[in-house]
Amino acid sequence: MNHVLNITANNTPAVVERLLQVTRYRGYQLTGLEMKPRSDRSVAITLSVSGDKPIHLLTSQLHKLYDVVQLELAGSELAVLSA
Amino acid sequence: MKGAELVLKVLQQHGVDTVFGYPGGAIMPIYDALYQSSIKHYLCRHEQGGAFSAIGYARASGKVGVCMATSGPGATNLITSLADAMLDSVPVVAITGQVSQVVMGSDAFQEVDVLGLSLAVTKHSFMVRSVDELAATLNDAFTIAQAGRPGPVLVDIPKDVQLADIDAELQAISNSNSNIQTSLANAAAARKLIAAAKKPVAYIGGGVHMAGAMAQLQQFLASNPMPSVTTLKGMGSVAKDNEHYLGMLGMHGTQAANLAVQQCDLLICLGARFDDRVTGNLQKFAPEAKVIHVDIDPAEINKVRFAQVALLGDMKQILPAISTQNNCSDWLTHCAQLKQQYGWRYDHPGEHIYAPLLLKQLSERMPDNSVVACDVGQHQMWVAQHMRFSSPRNHLSSGGLGTMGFGLPAAIGAKLARPQDTVITVTGDGSFMMNVQELATIKRFRLPVKIVVIDNQRLGMVKQWQQLFFNERYSETDLSDNPDFVALAAAFAIPGHCITRKDEVTDALEAMFTWPGPYLLHVCIDDKDNVWPLVPPGAANEEMITEAKA
Repeated sequence: MNHVLNITANNTPAVVERLLQVTRYRGYQLTGLEMKPRSDRSVAITLSVSGDKPIHLLTSQLHKLYDVVQLELAGSELAVLSA
Repeated sequence: MKGAELVLKVLQQHGVDTVFGYPGGAIMPIYDALYQSSIKHYLCRHEQGGAFSAIGYARASGKVGVCMATSGPGATNLITSLADAMLDSVPVVAITGQVSQVVMGSDAFQEVDVLGLSLAVTKHSFMVRSVDELAATLNDAFTIAQAGRPGPVLVDIPKDVQLADIDAELQAISNSNSNIQTSLANAAAARKLIAAAKKPVAYIGGGVHMAGAMAQLQQFLASNPMPSVTTLKGMGSVAKDNEHYLGMLGMHGTQAANLAVQQCDLLICLGARFDDRVTGNLQKFAPEAKVIHVDIDPAEINKVRFAQVALLGDMKQILPAISTQNNCSDWLTHCAQLKQQYGWRYDHPGEHIYAPLLLKQLSERMPDNSVVACDVGQHQMWVAQHMRFSSPRNHLSSGGLGTMGFGLPAAIGAKLARPQDTVITVTGDGSFMMNVQELATIKRFRLPVKIVVIDNQRLGMVKQWQQLFFNERYSETDLSDNPDFVALAAAFAIPGHCITRKDEVTDALEAMFTWPGPYLLHVCIDDKDNVWPLVPPGAANEEMITEAKA
């Protein structure tokens, strides 16, 4: 399954590495990456991934990253639980 | 003031009076500031040991553990301990020196990309680029380490930032855990499941005590009498006098705990994560059970096992909210019979010391509220099976990472956190040698830590698997050329005694506990003794191999 994640993150030096490290470790392949720094110290990142596992197993882990401010799964309801 | 002094002032602002570490070139300004600080620094003899002491300190006290190391090898030596803290959700702040920014990225002496290395083993990590960011970054580190599900945070501070001048006024700090969001929207659904359950089991992990919900748990189990089981990290959560407690579940769990979970129709998972050592074959785990999962970490919900009802947030609020009326007296009677039928037996033949019996005797002899820091292997499972604890903070065991070498330095940290309590490390002959240099820390600070080395001259757990699953091909698990452990302790001015027979145990334990200082008890056991029961790989938890069947 292919998925597109639209992420707003703090524009810190390691933020892209963090996203990619979690994506790889949790068992998804990166198929596309686009990033646009914004003037407010944030960065808009579009992460395209593919994987056989349910996507919530990735989104829930990415959502935990301290630098991730917002995460949306394009074209569907985001499967991240929150309190 | 210099950045280095600011580091210590912020630590003090967070109530830190104890740090563990080891100096080196890139962190010398901070060590220079420590020279006249009221913060007490405990010099470990390896950075891994220092970080494990910080973990032991944190786990025994509930406070944040702090450790320090220099750049390069100092920082890389922290990595294993940070991974341990990550997997066991321990709040630790690690501060590393880094080479000056002017040479960063040039393969300078003792330069390594610590921020890069930290990504997989920390909850978060920072590189401080300017002294102006230093205080706020450290404040964030303490907040993140404690907030929600706790974990380790690393702060890498270049030497030029440590040496930079700053005219800073410290900002007020806030209580990090005050903003836990809790949703009780599913509480009614949980109550409905509990009320309807004929065979409920409470499956209790480390998250309950970390949430400070021990009292709420006892109340929940009193209001809704049901069998309970714990994970390795949850041990000590259930009051000792709770008659429905069945012990640890999982690969080396009690038969009663595993059978009850396999037969239950409702599993109430409280602050646990369906670890593979708990579930065995996941497809066959608790096959008839609906699941209520209570956790603070959304990523744990439906990660491994689907939950019919999930509740996220503060365990202290959730447990009273899901409490309801339940009548499962037949089930309680059945589980009591399982507990009776599959109780431990200690009538081991022969004169050899039987480690389970020794640990039971140790558990009965040690003062209330003693802390036991384990290492990893057979002795670790025997401790979990045969010792009882009144709090999870009294049982320090490397659960998720299973790190040999954890026990001795963790005991050092626990002793410094709780100087009034007896602290014992139960270790194996393999694990002990992995951080044996920390005997020097015990010597230097005259820490009265009791060391019990369970010695079978083997890497016992690996040997057990070789025996059972690798055709008795004992590849690299023979440690029969171990050093003389009592003589080794003596080299660090720690007295000790070696025992080999059952009839020596009582007097030896008495001598160890009555000796006022550190003491090493070397316990020689039969290398043929194994940990039972055991759920073999790929099997369901009811398919336990017992000693009788082996």
